[in-house]
Amino acid sequence: MIEPSWIAGLGAFLFCIGLIGVFTRKNAIIVLMCIEIMLNAVNLNFVAGASHWENIDGWVFTSIAIAIAAAEVAVGLAIFLALYSQRGTISLDEVTLLKH
Amino acid sequence: MGEHSKPEWNLLLPVGLMVLFPFIRSQLGFDAINSAFLIAAVPLVVFPAILILGQIYKGEEWWKHQLKEGGIIALAALAITLSLTVWLIVEFLGHHGPDFGSQGVIFDWIQFEIFDGAALIGTSTLSFGLWIDSVSLTVLFVAAFLCFLICWFAIGYMTTDPINEDRNHRFFAEFVLFSMGMFGMVLADSFLWLFIFWEIMGLCSYLLIGFYWEKPSAAAAAKKAFLTTRVGDVFLMVGLFMLYDLYHSLEFAVIFGDPTLGGAVHGTDLQWPLFLMFIGCVGKSAQFPLHVWLPDAMEGPTPVSALIHAATMVNAGLYLVARMFPLFSEHHFEGDLSDLAMLIAWIGGITACMAAFIAFVANDIKRVLAYSTMSQLAYIFTGLGAACWFANQGYHHLSIVAFGAALFHLFNHAMAKGMLFMASGSVIHEMHHAHDHVHLYDDDGHHDFDPQDMRNMGGLASKMPITSIAMMLGSMSIIGIPLIGGFWSKEGIVGQTWNVYAHGGEMILFPAILVLATAGMTGFYMSRMWFMTFAGKPKSDVVEHVHEDTQWIKTPLVVLSIVTAFSGFILACGEFAHWLGDPDHTHFMTHLIEHPGDAILHELEIAFLPDENLLKIVGWTAILLSAGVGPFIAARMHGGKLADGEEATPLTNWLISYSGSVGHTDVGELATGGFATALHNRLYIDDAYEWVISRTLMPLAAICAWIDKNWVDGVIKGIESGSQSTSTWLRQFTTGRASDYLLMATVGMLIIVGILWGVA
Repeated sequence: MIEPSWIAGLGAFLFCIGLIGVFTRKNAIIVLMCIEIMLNAVNLNFVAGASHWENIDGWVFTSIAIAIAAAEVAVGLAIFLALYSQRGTISLDEVTLLKH
Repeated sequence: MGEHSKPEWNLLLPVGLMVLFPFIRSQLGFDAINSAFLIAAVPLVVFPAILILGQIYKGEEWWKHQLKEGGIIALAALAITLSLTVWLIVEFLGHHGPDFGSQGVIFDWIQFEIFDGAALIGTSTLSFGLWIDSVSLTVLFVAAFLCFLICWFAIGYMTTDPINEDRNHRFFAEFVLFSMGMFGMVLADSFLWLFIFWEIMGLCSYLLIGFYWEKPSAAAAAKKAFLTTRVGDVFLMVGLFMLYDLYHSLEFAVIFGDPTLGGAVHGTDLQWPLFLMFIGCVGKSAQFPLHVWLPDAMEGPTPVSALIHAATMVNAGLYLVARMFPLFSEHHFEGDLSDLAMLIAWIGGITACMAAFIAFVANDIKRVLAYSTMSQLAYIFTGLGAACWFANQGYHHLSIVAFGAALFHLFNHAMAKGMLFMASGSVIHEMHHAHDHVHLYDDDGHHDFDPQDMRNMGGLASKMPITSIAMMLGSMSIIGIPLIGGFWSKEGIVGQTWNVYAHGGEMILFPAILVLATAGMTGFYMSRMWFMTFAGKPKSDVVEHVHEDTQWIKTPLVVLSIVTAFSGFILACGEFAHWLGDPDHTHFMTHLIEHPGDAILHELEIAFLPDENLLKIVGWTAILLSAGVGPFIAARMHGGKLADGEEATPLTNWLISYSGSVGHTDVGELATGGFATALHNRLYIDDAYEWVISRTLMPLAAICAWIDKNWVDGVIKGIESGSQSTSTWLRQFTTGRASDYLLMATVGMLIIVGILWGVA
């Protein structure tokens, strides 16, 4: 049996990787992937907690999170497509619409 | 001149109909006193109406030609006020007319409670009511009559000048408000309301003098008039505060009802308030040393000059002094206010002489009249000073004579001066048009042609017969040629001033000598103006093309010529002067109507052969100086026959041939000497003011401006620039990149978590 703290540590590690990716990468698709990594890092904690305490709540949360993440990816990719067709780029450095 | 204007009598139909207004009021069951408040209320309503209609309809054909850009509306309103005034006068002069004095309250304005410490000791009300007596009726009639005629004249003068196009409604609206200020001031029953209307007139004088606001000199003159009279008004206001402190009321009924307030008020208490109020009058009536605004006020259109100088503004100051008269005649104050009365006479004497001197060298026709106004008003002040002195010394009868003479002169001067200004306006108007006609298409440097300069005129008598007759009669009235207009009142003023000396007021000797000398000087400068304008050979080619036009200008001149020529004589024989001072014991006009022969003989005897030797000497000296010496010198210097082939009307022809037959004097040296130069520079009084102001007020203003700019504005600008730089600094964080915002959110969250951790 692997110690839950090890799994929690792995989750935190993965979350940081995702976070740093979001801050540093310019390509929107990679940023989206990094967000997925962060989400799944959290899911990992849920799953680990569920098996440790033998409680079903964690699995339920995880399934819901995965479903919502899938929907979110679909929306995100659709936005990128629209962005690309309008501006010809999906580099986040050039899409500074929030400024205005 | 190109086209002749049509008579346009039909436009006067609505004006004529307004005369029916009093009849309608009386049919509705109101009497003249109940309608009197309308004298001020009607113009007050008409003023915004003209302004708004003018803004909406300006430029439209019917507004311009049928309503004369609001002029007909203004004239109709003034016709209502004039007919109401006449109705009021008729009612009061009837055998069983109402009593003089307070006529009840029209409306309550402000009510307030008076506390002594914390205890309520009573309530007080500032209400508006009417006060009518012989003085207010006279001044009201002068104002209403002249405002009406001047408005008539203004329609002809203003609407034919292209420069005024599409803004005449502003002129007529302000004109009506101005006359409303005068009517209200005369009718008001308290010093408070008198002061309010007084200030309305101050405002209107500013607006009207600056009517040509695009001209820098007019704008400066308007400011000068406003600020100079404001100096006087501040003193007047303080004087009124002091008066309120004494009487706890400013109502005439309270103050004149019992001037001692049951023994609580002493004559010495009144010296300062009355003195300060007198300074206000000095400012308003343009007396030395606050006279500087009046000559510059000539920058306004000529009808405005007539309005200010004859009908309204300058009479206001005289009216206020006349209002103070009951305080002087209260026998408990006997002797306490004599010094103030003497001061009034002194100011009058000094101004009369000074203004007459300056008028000697003025070449602008309107400026001669302006200085003449100052000088004649100063006569009235001298007369009032003498009246107040007599009253305060207990010479009841003499004070009435002097008081009546002074206010009679107000009447005569207003009629004559209103007409003189309109006649000068007629001359200027036609000179201007003739010049435009002659030099319209040449570019020969005639742009500096001054249509008001008498050195460009000469020989106009044959071109403008009605104007020349009007101006002759007006000048005669001002000079005091026997039997005409101002003669009757001026004799009284000069005589009573000397009478003060005879009754122990030695201090008055100086002003008494000055007014006697000024009588001769008036004869000179008024004749000089007339001869320079109408007699002799033309002094410029423009004169050839001058001719009288438009009934709008001629009719008021004719009306006033008749009034000036006869009113003085009739009123004098009707004991008008006596009635002004003592209405309760005088039968105004009745004696003249019942026994005309006796009344006329009696009056002639008083005027030419008074009992006292002093009056006889003074009177004949004044007649000799004003009717003989002054005009004779003027005729020698400036008179002359008309050019060949020109024929003046018989009424003026005798004067021109007289001036051509007395020979010629060339003053040469004197006209260019140091004294003449000083007179040209108005005795350097304006310069002195400028010097003082530039050394006292201007540095102070500069310091204030510096403090304002650097300290007061500095704080505000600091706030402004501080917030701007802060926001510039903050803006660099809003890059618009989503990941940056995320970073900030993350950092923020970490800080919050950290804080929570620390707290826990």
